[in-house]
Amino acid sequence: MNRISLFCAISLIGVTGAFSQDAPAKINLDDPNLVFVSDSVIPIPLEIFASLDKLGAQDWGRQVESRDLRVDTNRSRTAMLFGLVVSEGFIGVQAQDKESVRRLGRDVLALAKSLGVAEEVEVHANAIVNGAGRGEWEMVRSELDKTRQTVINKMKELRDDELVALVSLGGWLGGTEALASVLRDNYSEEGSDLLNQPDLIKQLKTDFNELPQRARRGNLFTQVSMTLEHLESLMRSDESGAISEGKVIEISLATRNLVEAIYES
Amino acid sequence: MRAKSFLAALTFSLAGALVAQDTVEAPQLSKTHNYIKLLAQEAALPSLRGQEKFILRESWWSGNLAPGKAKLIQLQLFRRNSYQFWIAVPNRKAEPLINVYDSSGNLVSSEAITFDTGNLVSTVIQPEETGVYYLRVSLKTTVEDAQDWAVIYAYR
Repeated sequence: MNRISLFCAISLIGVTGAFSQDAPAKINLDDPNLVFVSDSVIPIPLEIFASLDKLGAQDWGRQVESRDLRVDTNRSRTAMLFGLVVSEGFIGVQAQDKESVRRLGRDVLALAKSLGVAEEVEVHANAIVNGAGRGEWEMVRSELDKTRQTVINKMKELRDDELVALVSLGGWLGGTEALASVLRDNYSEEGSDLLNQPDLIKQLKTDFNELPQRARRGNLFTQVSMTLEHLESLMRSDESGAISEGKVIEISLATRNLVEAIYES
Repeated sequence: MRAKSFLAALTFSLAGALVAQDTVEAPQLSKTHNYIKLLAQEAALPSLRGQEKFILRESWWSGNLAPGKAKLIQLQLFRRNSYQFWIAVPNRKAEPLINVYDSSGNLVSSEAITFDTGNLVSTVIQPEETGVYYLRVSLKTTVEDAQDWAVIYAYR
């Protein structure tokens, strides 16, 4: 059989709605025989912003920050910073802020160098800087996602799983800080449900707590642990499905404090 | 134009992957998975174009499924977004399935999309609540061999 022609011949033949006939209507998630795929995928900020924007235009430009990047030899901090910077790149894309995205593209490369993955990241970082200069936002968005995934893949290949978890955590933190800040400035019950992430934060907390002690030594990582604990109690909707304005403010403050601590430590 | 270039690049990459497979006795698992992922990406192309296009994530999952077995992937989804998932396996008779369950284990209403080849299927859902969901991947028919699989997803 010509496998190339098989590949090229794919076309859609049908769409069926409602429920699949071949799947159980309910599964017991506590069944010990269930097999879960271990790779957790953290939503990128744009995925969350896409939902919020459906409720009306948001002022994403206000969320673009200009923070000085200081790289040191602490690889755990660098991995978190990497995740943070990429998520800030996504915020810059949402705000269509050319200068901030160009700067973040350069920061991404500096951090990749420090993590020893510059070779893999360079092409993406250059595409981010150049694409932002031309205002090609779709391409920049795609390159940011590729950058993040490339680093995660390389870390896995190098068996640096602890850094994978920290890149993911940093990325989630940056997106959550921006989301909470937007909701704090323009609170709506409907939009607040985007912060309802109890299972995701539980997963992040578990991943963090499972890191070897050497990867989370020092005051910064004590703060990470405490903040995750605090956020777990806040990022849970009430009976109406909303998260109160007071909790949104708390989430905003807690995430902002942690982001600043990561940059400044 | 960009989609055509992407398709050309994809076909070129696939050709390379196939040549590699033909010349290596025991292909590495990751190469097989990358090839299967390309199949899923090719099937996704029509959804990534036009006014109402989905945005493909770079993250994806892969593994190996034994006949009659299922695996679950945990994922946070957000209300008001739509999500499309694609699963691909190598065997055209394997008929993979992909279904979505909410955090209580209830099957979520979805739109199943089938293709003219039995090794690909896709599903679209619009979550009613923000929260954790579970993708259940399985094989519909009893094929003799376990199948490597790849799942990709997109949002809009």
